[in-house]
Amino acid sequence: MVEDKEVYDVVMVGAGPAALTAAIYTCREDIKTVLYEKAVVGGLAAITDWVDNYPGFPEGIAGLDLAENLRKQAERFGADIRLGDVMDISAEGDYKKLVTTDGDVYARTVLLATGSDYKKLGIPGEQEYYARGVHYCATCDGAFYRDKRLVVVGGGNSAVQEALFLTRFTTHIDLLVRSDLRASEILQHELAKQKDKITVHLGVTTDEIVATDNKVTSVRGTDSAGQTVTYETDGVFIFIGLLPNTGFLQGKIDLDEVGMIKTDELLQTSMPGVFAAGDVRSGATMQIASAAGEGATAAMMIRKQLERVA
Amino acid sequence: MVKNITIFTTNTCAYCGMVKKWLGAKGYEYEEVNLDQNPERQKEAFEMSGVLSVPVTVVTRTDESKEVVVGYNLAKLAPAIA
Repeated sequence: MVEDKEVYDVVMVGAGPAALTAAIYTCREDIKTVLYEKAVVGGLAAITDWVDNYPGFPEGIAGLDLAENLRKQAERFGADIRLGDVMDISAEGDYKKLVTTDGDVYARTVLLATGSDYKKLGIPGEQEYYARGVHYCATCDGAFYRDKRLVVVGGGNSAVQEALFLTRFTTHIDLLVRSDLRASEILQHELAKQKDKITVHLGVTTDEIVATDNKVTSVRGTDSAGQTVTYETDGVFIFIGLLPNTGFLQGKIDLDEVGMIKTDELLQTSMPGVFAAGDVRSGATMQIASAAGEGATAAMMIRKQLERVA
Repeated sequence: MVKNITIFTTNTCAYCGMVKKWLGAKGYEYEEVNLDQNPERQKEAFEMSGVLSVPVTVVTRTDESKEVVVGYNLAKLAPAIA
C-alpha cells in the first residue's frame, strides 16, 4: 500500500534553476518537497562562466555563484536536495512512483526539470580523446590549456561565451562556426574585441579531431568552398547545442520529435500530476530567466493540483 | 579502509564543488589541490588520471592502493570510498 509509505507532496527531478525556483515557492507554502540531482546543483547554469542576462544582477554574476544562491534560497525554506538519480517514473493510482538511487520514492505530484546537456559532434576522434584533448566544460577543463592553442566549435551563445572565458588561458583560439554566428549581439561585440586572440572561421564544418602520439594535434574541417582546412591545436572545446535529458522518460511521457517533454498550457505532461519546466520542456527558450519563471509557474500549478486531490 | 582523499580542482569547476559536497555529506575529510593556485601540480593530476580534466579524486587506502575517479561520478565515487 502506497499510503503506508512516506509520500512527498512533490518530487522534483533535477535541481537547476527551474526546479530550485519551484522549490522556493513550494517550500514556502509547506509543500513537502524533495529534489533529486544526478549532476550539478544549479544545472548548466553552474558550469557557465558568467551570466550577464539574469535579472537582478546589474554587473552580471558567475554561473557557479548564481547556482549557489539559488540552492541556498531553496534550502532556507526547507528544500531537501538529494544527490542521486531518478531512473523511472510510473503512476500508481493517485501517486507517482519514482525509482531512484535511494530506492523507490512516492509522490503526489512530480516536476520534471532535468534540463539538457551539451550535444556531441559524432566525428572521428571525439570520443577517443574525450577529456584528453576534447572537452565540453570550459570552466572545468580550461585551466589545463595555459599558454596553449585551442579550437572552439560552435557559433551560439555558449560557444562564444566559453571561447571568451578560455582567452584567459590560451595563446590563440580558432572558433569554427558551421554557418553564421548566432550568439547575441553583445557577445559578438565582445568577440570582436578579442580579434587578436580569437579567429572566427564561418562556414567551416568540423570533420575530424586528429591526434599524434595519443595527443590531440589538429582539427580537420571543410570550408564553404569545399576545401579541406586544418587547424593546429592542443585541445578542442565543443558547444554546438543542447540535448534534453529525457532518456528515462521514453515511452512513459509524451516527448516531441527532438525528445523534449510536451506539456499543456498549465505545464502538465501527458501523465496527470506530472509537470515539466525549464530547458527540458518542448518550446523552452533555453534561458535561465525563463527556466526560473517556468519553475514558479509550475509550483503554482502543483499547488492547485495538490488542492484538487486533497 | 580509506587512509586519505585528495581532490584536484579549479576555481570555476562546478563538478568539483559537487564532489566536495558529497564527500562532506558522507563525513569524509579530504585535501584539496586547487590547480588555479598550484598550476605546477597539473602534471601530477594528469599522471594520476590520464585526463586533462577536473575534478580528479584520488582515494588512498590503508594498504596504499589508490583509486582514481574522474568527474563527479557517484557510481564510481561510492565504491571507491566504501
